Amino acid sequence: MMRSILASLVQLATTVLVIAAVILVILVPLSLSQPDPGAVLFAFLLGPFDSVRHIGNIAEAATPIALTGLASTVIFRAGMFNLGTEGGFFLGGLGAAAFAVMVGIQGPLAAPLAILAGACIGSVACIVPGYLRVRHGAPEMVTSLVFNFALLFAGLLFLSYVLRDPTAGALTSPKIPADARLDRLLQGTRLNSGAIIAVVACILGGIWLFATRSGLNTRIVGSSPGFAAHLGLPITRITMATQVVGGLIAGMAGAVEVLGLYTRFTWVSLPGLGWTGIIVAILARENPFLIIPAALFLGYLQVGGDILGRSMDVPSEIVGILTAAIMVAVTAKIIFENPRLLRAIRSIKQQEAK
Amino acid sequence: MSVIGPDMADTSSVIAFDGISKTYPNGTVALSTVSFEIPKGTIHAICGENGAGKSTLMKILFGLEAPSAGRILLDGAPVEAGAPAFAATHGIGMVHQHFSLIPALTVTENIILGHEPRKGVLIDRAEARRQVTELSARYDLQVEPDAPVSTLSVAAQQKVEILKALARDTRILILDEPTAVLSPPEIEELFNRLRGLRDAGMTILFISHKLNEVRALAQSVTVLRGGRLTGTVALRDVPDDKIMEMVMGHAVEVARREHGAANGETVLSLKSVSTRTREPADLLHEVSVDIRAGEIVGIAGVDGSGQRGLVSVMSGFLRPGSGSIAFNGQDMTRADSHAWRHAGLAYLPADRFAQGGAPALSLADNAIAGTDGNKDLQTGPFLRRGRIAARVRGMIKEFNVRSFGIYERLDSLSGGNAQKLIAARELATKPKLLIADQPTRGIDVAAAAFLHRRLDEAARNGAAVLLVSADLDELLRLSDRVLVFFAGRIVADLPNGPSLTPAALGPYMLGLENAR
Amino acid sequence: MDAFFATIADPALFATVLRVMTPLLLAGLGVLISDRAGVLNIGMEGMMLVGALTGVLVSAYTGNAWLGFLAALIVCGFVGWVMALVVNGLGAHLIITGIALNMAAAAGTTLVLFFATGDKGMSGALKSEVLPNVGIPFIADIPVLGPLVSGHHILTYLALLSVPLVSILMLRTPFGLRLRAVGMDPKSAATAGISVKRVQAAALVLSGVFGGAAGAYLSMGYVSWFASNMTAGRGFIAIAVEVMGMGSAWGALAASLILAVAETAAITMQSLGLPHELMQMIPYVVPIVVLTVYVSRRRARQLV
Repeated sequence: MMRSILASLVQLATTVLVIAAVILVILVPLSLSQPDPGAVLFAFLLGPFDSVRHIGNIAEAATPIALTGLASTVIFRAGMFNLGTEGGFFLGGLGAAAFAVMVGIQGPLAAPLAILAGACIGSVACIVPGYLRVRHGAPEMVTSLVFNFALLFAGLLFLSYVLRDPTAGALTSPKIPADARLDRLLQGTRLNSGAIIAVVACILGGIWLFATRSGLNTRIVGSSPGFAAHLGLPITRITMATQVVGGLIAGMAGAVEVLGLYTRFTWVSLPGLGWTGIIVAILARENPFLIIPAALFLGYLQVGGDILGRSMDVPSEIVGILTAAIMVAVTAKIIFENPRLLRAIRSIKQQEAK
Repeated sequence: MSVIGPDMADTSSVIAFDGISKTYPNGTVALSTVSFEIPKGTIHAICGENGAGKSTLMKILFGLEAPSAGRILLDGAPVEAGAPAFAATHGIGMVHQHFSLIPALTVTENIILGHEPRKGVLIDRAEARRQVTELSARYDLQVEPDAPVSTLSVAAQQKVEILKALARDTRILILDEPTAVLSPPEIEELFNRLRGLRDAGMTILFISHKLNEVRALAQSVTVLRGGRLTGTVALRDVPDDKIMEMVMGHAVEVARREHGAANGETVLSLKSVSTRTREPADLLHEVSVDIRAGEIVGIAGVDGSGQRGLVSVMSGFLRPGSGSIAFNGQDMTRADSHAWRHAGLAYLPADRFAQGGAPALSLADNAIAGTDGNKDLQTGPFLRRGRIAARVRGMIKEFNVRSFGIYERLDSLSGGNAQKLIAARELATKPKLLIADQPTRGIDVAAAAFLHRRLDEAARNGAAVLLVSADLDELLRLSDRVLVFFAGRIVADLPNGPSLTPAALGPYMLGLENAR
Repeated sequence: MDAFFATIADPALFATVLRVMTPLLLAGLGVLISDRAGVLNIGMEGMMLVGALTGVLVSAYTGNAWLGFLAALIVCGFVGWVMALVVNGLGAHLIITGIALNMAAAAGTTLVLFFATGDKGMSGALKSEVLPNVGIPFIADIPVLGPLVSGHHILTYLALLSVPLVSILMLRTPFGLRLRAVGMDPKSAATAGISVKRVQAAALVLSGVFGGAAGAYLSMGYVSWFASNMTAGRGFIAIAVEVMGMGSAWGALAASLILAVAETAAITMQSLGLPHELMQMIPYVVPIVVLTVYVSRRRARQLV
């Protein structure tokens, strides 16, 4: 028992070291190009912890990507490379805002129903490519990538012609009723009940994936479709179900983001949080229990980048490059399947042949 | 070290292995300080049971893999091993066990790949064709230069594979288990060719775990066991049981089975089943067979003769175009794999890591896969971890599976141990019909013997067992009767007995005789 | 249907079709080369962005459009090489690397744009050059045919010329044979002495070159500026083009033409008063429909 914990720690330490190396490699040259390199590093690495507001920002940033990360995890675990969570997030936010504004429910049910509406509408982004793959064999990676854009413009069409607030200057929806907006959790931050939803969802997701029969069957279908066929598992049903659930979670992510942080729906391009969710899923090794830490970490990086962007002359886009590099580094077999590393882990677990 | 007799054809050694070791990243030690020499212009066998390291050693010689330690000398001089172009530069050609041909390309394209004749910037197709035709004539191996390899029979593909190996001024030819896919007469033809090549001066390395073939063909043999060298001897100096000892190390209890005509109920009945498909291996023509409870029916046939179709149709993967299938009286002609399983089918697929189990999932996950709804192992939708762990540990103990822990991945097990776990899972369902497709391919002798005992036990417990195997010895050891497939038809249904030998099966397998 | 034929026959509309087709064809050819080698380049979208920005920056600083174009090809070829290094050398996951490339390119081009112009949205401040349209000397004078065939953008002609060139490269040269072999069965290709890593690196470099050309066309073809995320998913449509084209260069031409016609028809419809967001959806919906129908038909034919 102790040994397997120790072995897992070694694997974790390797991941941490790799990430730290990537951060240093990208950040150090960047900071050296600035007048005060130390201040840059300090602001980026420690800035996110220097105030309650910043710490709240970390959680705010982590919430949507934890949910899109969960959505991608569920989808990938079924063996589909459906990349529709980006479109689902966008549509989910739009759907929730539209429902809140147009249906105008009052009272405590306003927010949950709006989130549900957002989830259902957003799920289309994953369901359509999933269905086309399962029923017709159309490669879901290609169709979902392109469908994201189709949905963006469909959403913008809706926003321009139906939901638009004619009195506002820019292209936005009317104000979202207060009843539908999510409660703030912490004074001085924008932290809202969306964070709780994210944590609960990830825990439920982990329990489902590893401790239920349907989770096991999903993992079998995703990792060994030939074996699944031999077992007689209902592959089509399982695959389709995960696309639906993943889509719902992605839609929910968008709904929670809009209802938690915004007073109006203002997105006129794809927010990019579906892509970041994929990074979270990869970092978390497609394990729902690891999504919260991974999302918090990426949230931390995001806040650091924002601080740099605001207080120094370094655009926050540096974070985009950084997270992309981390995502790739974390899959590098040369590190994580390195014979020496594997041998070290095996000897900790005492698995070496005598 | 080298125990080559004084009057071998040419005693200068052309290849020498010096302290070769190979450890794979996952910890498997494939080879451990192997050193020996191979004399020039002879046929030298590399012998050992499955997993002894023979293929690994040849892959290192050919340059597909690099050794972890040690070096190789060619004609006395050390060479850089481990680079892809290594083999071509040194005149080494290899006929791989699982052919190295690319199905979508033509015969010519496969043969010239890597050394294409050029006309300016383009490939000189006319010259390529000429080269292939000339090669074909020189070595007397008839091939169709423009046929896509995917359309060829297995034996024809092997001819292409051999030509490919000979195409680049080859002076050392390696053959890795070439007889696995051939019928007995085809094996003899191959051996004659190899003798001819040897007489013309080629050095031939012949890898096999079949001692009778080694005796028939080679002058000398190197034996590997568990990655180590146990000896290099000239064949005529050493009797069979000494070599067996070098291969096995100790006597292994080989399953003895009483063969008899079964008198149980008919469990499975196929009537005039034909399939309509593009895949020749799945084609069946009017196949009728009854399998009874308690009998082991062996299926023999050259690869692609319809065995795969039979198995597919009996497990719900392929719908018959005509005919009917009944399983325990129930009509299963249109049933899918779920229905077959539900009705009592258990299946050990040929491709164990792609179809028999999930390599990335844990032993525990694999062991309970497919047991949906088992009240013992689940409460509602939730899996009961404790009960599952107990069940899996029980399986591991009973089937003697060497593992590092039930939560380790399936692919951390060796082939033999993985197959035993898979068999444990399948047999735990107390099946009425068990299909075993190449169950001991690539598995060490001890595990194979264990599995044979289990198959026998399953039959004695009333299961009907269908054993599909390219290993005729295995078939003849276990089966009560043997069906031979040729071109999608059953051409023989022979009860097992002393007169049934591989040689007797040969003509049926090649379609030269038809007993039906 | 009438609108379809009207599109083809009217020289102005035909020119629009070719204009829309060019980046899709160039990028599609790039995806094709990578896919046939077994290293599908999902990062084509990112490469196009990099190519677009590089072309603008270099042509602005050198005052020469062709230098800008060349720089785009070289830089994106280099990106392809780095991608090969990461995937084959470091053993990173192919698709993840492609996705990461897209993300890094989106962020990186915005970053570089900011450093170069102080603006994160557009490169308006830079005076970058434009690549020309060309007239073909004698053909231009032929009535009816002349205006149809001559006078298109130089990159359009290059793209069209690339189709037979890529086809010959893949089917008739040793490089092409080895590349296809590597894509079909790397293990068997290795037994023939082929270095899989080198072939795949070459494929990704070529893929990058085509991606750079496609990107440069966007920012230097008819307009002379770079805007953040100006590729707008065309790199993804290029993947659809390659799949529809069955992995052949001529198929990619057909696929990109079909999509270009659809998009042009949509542009035409816009003048009928339909909302422009609807028109914007069409280039993304049509690939899905066409791809699904095509794959579905092919599957049906295989199940005898």
